Amino acid sequence: MAEEKISGVVITFFSTASAVGKTLISINMASELARQGCRVCLVDYDLQFGDVANYLKLPVEHSVYDALAEMKKNPEADIRQQVEQYRYGTICFDVLPAPEFLDQSYNLSTEACTELVEKLRLLYDYVIVDTTSMFSKLNLAMLDISTIVTFLGVVDFIPTIKNMKIGNDTLQNLNYDTHKIRLVLNRSDAKTRISMEAVQKLLGEGFYHVLPNDFRAASESISTGVPLVLSGSDSVLAEEIRRLISRYTNRAYVPGPEQLGSRSEAHHKGGLLGRLFRR
Amino acid sequence: MQYKIMLIEHNRLLLEQLSKVIENAPDMELEARFQSSSDALGQGRVFSPNIILLDAEIGNATELLQELIGVFPGAAVICTGEKWEAESTSHFIQAGASGYLIKPFTYNGLKEAIKIYTANGMEMDCHAMTFFSPKGKSGKTTLIANLAMAISRTTGEQVGIIDADLQFGDMAVFFNLEPQSTIVEAARDASFLSPLDLRSYYTKVNDKVYVLCGTKTPSLIDRVAIDSLEAVIKMSRSLFKYLLIDVPAGFNPTSIAAAEMSDTTYVVAMMNGGYEVKHVQRALEIFAGWEDCANRVKTVFTRVVPCNDQSRRKLTEAMGCPVEAVMPNAYMVVSKAADNGQMALDLEPDSPLAMSINYLAGRIIHPPAGGTGDD
Repeated sequence: MAEEKISGVVITFFSTASAVGKTLISINMASELARQGCRVCLVDYDLQFGDVANYLKLPVEHSVYDALAEMKKNPEADIRQQVEQYRYGTICFDVLPAPEFLDQSYNLSTEACTELVEKLRLLYDYVIVDTTSMFSKLNLAMLDISTIVTFLGVVDFIPTIKNMKIGNDTLQNLNYDTHKIRLVLNRSDAKTRISMEAVQKLLGEGFYHVLPNDFRAASESISTGVPLVLSGSDSVLAEEIRRLISRYTNRAYVPGPEQLGSRSEAHHKGGLLGRLFRR
Repeated sequence: MQYKIMLIEHNRLLLEQLSKVIENAPDMELEARFQSSSDALGQGRVFSPNIILLDAEIGNATELLQELIGVFPGAAVICTGEKWEAESTSHFIQAGASGYLIKPFTYNGLKEAIKIYTANGMEMDCHAMTFFSPKGKSGKTTLIANLAMAISRTTGEQVGIIDADLQFGDMAVFFNLEPQSTIVEAARDASFLSPLDLRSYYTKVNDKVYVLCGTKTPSLIDRVAIDSLEAVIKMSRSLFKYLLIDVPAGFNPTSIAAAEMSDTTYVVAMMNGGYEVKHVQRALEIFAGWEDCANRVKTVFTRVVPCNDQSRRKLTEAMGCPVEAVMPNAYMVVSKAADNGQMALDLEPDSPLAMSINYLAGRIIHPPAGGTGDD
């Protein structure tokens, strides 16, 4: 029983622009943590048009809507009865998808959604929350209760960067602990007219982590429904996501048994060396 | 030009106050003033005003308005009221008034009203369009900005843009504008504004295109109440022939209010290799609650590769309903344009993007009979 009182880590993915990769990265983070043996629940709080279930090709029988309804009806009920499970080989994690119908997502209260995450964090080692790209009441509540906020951005054109700057300034105004907000750049080497250095200068801080662009691997993962870190993909993106997670968890990256054998040893080394070895 | 003004005002105090404004104006002359409609009709004939200010609250105001128009065909009749109301304004404009002005007014306010109303009149058949997207990053801000330019160029009409994306409104960046006032101030003041005053809250792009810019920082999100937003949209309809409204992604009070108040809602999504078609379908299911949904809601996909009619038909098939237009992937030109505060349309007038924009502008200006383009 004592174990259940331990409060798990809440990691929220947030951005001020859409289509920056929040869903893809959060799915992979959930997968990788599950692969490492952690109890993980991935919550889709993009309530209207969430893509978590789409990207995992998960049929939705229980959603955030059902979990909240059950919680209201029976506050003592085990919420784990209301989640979907994603399974790939021996690896599995729980998912609370966005409501299946739009009318179910419109009037969900921020208080109830927050309470749900607070309940989940007592049941799981990690609760990963995917969000929409705005400072909504719900998102602000998630930022508040999160252990870590991954503020994900891409460098594409001026309006996006302006919004990233406004977002970063707003997060700073909220006075969170310095280490709580992790500024992560996605699709760093995509074809773009603006340099990463210029953006860092504008933001007044460096990126905590930089993820490379791998549109093909990402698209393939979305179309097959298998997260990059589980599919045995040797894409640089998968590798950098693993490295990001190992930084979050302060653990060295250890490949699981399904990844050994077929993969070269270079994987352990990472960085430039790792990339060179694979080519 | 010297304005010869006939003032009709039933309130004695206001009559005095307004007379003074006119008498003190260097370019205005108080031709005649009346406190009752019968006097105005009986005695007014001997005067020759070119502007008539008619108290909208005077008895028989509508009949008087029509009589005045008959007697003084060369004069513009501007109705005056103490509060702006869309219904009564619309009633007087339809009956032939050139405009509607809130009193008491200052010299500058009166002058501006005369200038605008005698030049353009008040718009009565505004085509208001809301651009809705299920998720962000739909390309709709690019679409709206370029579309507004294309429409104004083709028609020479006044085009307004309301950036109601209350968190990350990008319209000011797209047009490289430094707005003095935004939708926040306009909404705050909405209850005591007339359309004419509202015009000054818009930022001018050129003589034809005006933008009511979005909020500067996301913390202002709660400052725009929905009834104020509705008042702003209503008033804006009397200022522009075409009104394009950018709203935050998804279904929220702002996007719903704007869509409800628009003649057409465009559902816009960018093809990103994900579940865009599914999201648009789900959004359309909600709009299907409108009886006239088929005519009122149209779908536009952006970043369609290849961008041609075949792709449009394929998307139509996938959607199970007509797709109004497809826009090409124009990242480079849009990005370059946005960075410089220019329009992609101007930067590369012959680009596939410009052609697609002009095509859609054409369909807005001359809606095809039957509507779908798939017949």
